[in-house]
Amino acid sequence: MIKLKYENLMKQFPGSDLQAVSELNMEVPEGEICILVGPSGCGKTTTMKMTNRLIEPSSGHIYIDGVDNREIDPIKLRLGIGYVIQEIGLFPHMTIAENVATVLVEKKWNKEEIRQRVDEMLELMGLDPEIYRKRRPSDLSGGQRQRVGVARALASNPPIMLMDEPFGAVDPITRARLQNEFLRLQEQMRKTIIFVTHDIDEAIKMGDRIAVMNQGKLVQFATPDELLSMPANEFVGNLVGGNRSIKRLNLIRVDEVELRKLTKLTVAHTRQQAAEAVENNPLNLAVVVDGQGKLLGLVSRSSLRHEGEQVKDLYTEVHDIVGLGSTLNDTLSIMLGYGDGFAVVVDREGKPLGAITVDDIFSAVKEDE
Amino acid sequence: MNKRSLAWILVCVLLSLATIVYFVNNPGGRMAARVLNYETIFQAYWQHILMVVIASAAAIIISVSLGVLITRPFFRRGAPVVDTVINVAQTVPSLAILALFFTYLGRGFNTAVFALLLYALLPILRNTSAGIQNISADIIEAAKGMGMSKLHVLSRIELPLALPVIMAGIRTSVVVTVGAATLASFIGAGGLGDLIITGLSVSRHTVVVAGGLLSALLAILLDQLLGGIEGYLKTK
Repeated sequence: MIKLKYENLMKQFPGSDLQAVSELNMEVPEGEICILVGPSGCGKTTTMKMTNRLIEPSSGHIYIDGVDNREIDPIKLRLGIGYVIQEIGLFPHMTIAENVATVLVEKKWNKEEIRQRVDEMLELMGLDPEIYRKRRPSDLSGGQRQRVGVARALASNPPIMLMDEPFGAVDPITRARLQNEFLRLQEQMRKTIIFVTHDIDEAIKMGDRIAVMNQGKLVQFATPDELLSMPANEFVGNLVGGNRSIKRLNLIRVDEVELRKLTKLTVAHTRQQAAEAVENNPLNLAVVVDGQGKLLGLVSRSSLRHEGEQVKDLYTEVHDIVGLGSTLNDTLSIMLGYGDGFAVVVDREGKPLGAITVDDIFSAVKEDE
Repeated sequence: MNKRSLAWILVCVLLSLATIVYFVNNPGGRMAARVLNYETIFQAYWQHILMVVIASAAAIIISVSLGVLITRPFFRRGAPVVDTVINVAQTVPSLAILALFFTYLGRGFNTAVFALLLYALLPILRNTSAGIQNISADIIEAAKGMGMSKLHVLSRIELPLALPVIMAGIRTSVVVTVGAATLASFIGAGGLGDLIITGLSVSRHTVVVAGGLLSALLAILLDQLLGGIEGYLKTK
């Protein structure tokens, strides 16, 4: 079902000869992430802001569930659309709880409902309500602020979300983690999302559909796969870049690759058992888990040289850990970061599922092409 | 209210009482004693407070409303003009304003309050408009984009964020008004200026010092009181 429909949308700002957005036609199906990507000034943010009427179009229409958005009262319209902007969008004078509650207060929920919902949202975002509820945005790290921004937009459970470079102002590792967390949430939420970014890698990773814009025009509207295999013109080709095989790493997730099995040891196993497990494994590795089955460390040939007769003295810490939702691109950069040829894949509880190697990544990309 | 403001207020009250008691008991001559008695001092003090409080309260209400008005989008273009007028008006001496209104409205308490009010408007208006204009446009847009009504954007975002700047304007204005109110004595409005001017005209320094000290202490006291109120509003 089509959730959002952009029809002959045009915007010309007063005093400007150029059309910021011109002749934009686009349909976004329900439950999909539609990425608007392009260089600065291409009209992507303007298009997004016309969706919730922060900017009014000069001509053309935007239909939400078939209703022209200009027939809906702007306040009502916006209360039904989640809005995430870069971290600066948090209100500095309010606590985290008050920030998350913003839309709920506008919707006149009662205090107890708001309190419960705020705690629920903070937990969903991995922020302990007891710790963060009363803090101010300035006490948080960049990544935590972005999480609060997402929590604030999701609090009233709107069917549509607008996200303007929501993971822009953080370091690459935090960004990858936030992206993965968000994709995991989206799997359950199935919101219709307009997502603005200038980062083509982020677009390929996050998007169900990508709208490439340049100088106010929609250049190509396609799935990430189509965009990589059939760029509509030179502009899209350049944006996507020369090394498309590497970009394709953003499309494949770890759970789509067959993982290599690793024998699980506990700290109580003996040196003899550990050495056998390592020798019998093609990668010459074994994982060590605790009582709950969570990953503690690795036993390898080099770690077997340590003194001690029990596994508790023989294992080393693992750096290369990836979650199931990570892309091959995230995995490869972690491997390169630590200089190991492999990474251990864990599930959401931190239990090891297996290992993935650089060779596995290469063959996965080859098969995909 | 925080402990620091409270301590300052207490110190000012005690010092004022001590000043009054000291000068009533040591007036420095019989002529000075006619002015330096409890009845005259308390009456002057009370008139002074009344003038300052009425003029400041009215000025706060008018200036903050006006400041909000000139920062609304439909008025944004006019804002620089208003800023210029405010800045020029600020250069007129307070005595000149009193004299001007005396010419049209005659002597008395009401004329003084009116003139003080006009003079008190400017710092508050300037700070209210600057405080609101300096809020990042992104924050305002975030609030709007989330579905806040215009009234809520003002009451929940703009005013709380501009509060420290607005309060700074109010404190400046009140302190200046306490000083300017001593000049109201020239147009027969009473207040602590009566002590100072009488003391000057009969060359009795004790009287001048008593009036000056009391008005200075009043200025510090009101400033701290407002600081305390600001702290309270912030935690709300």
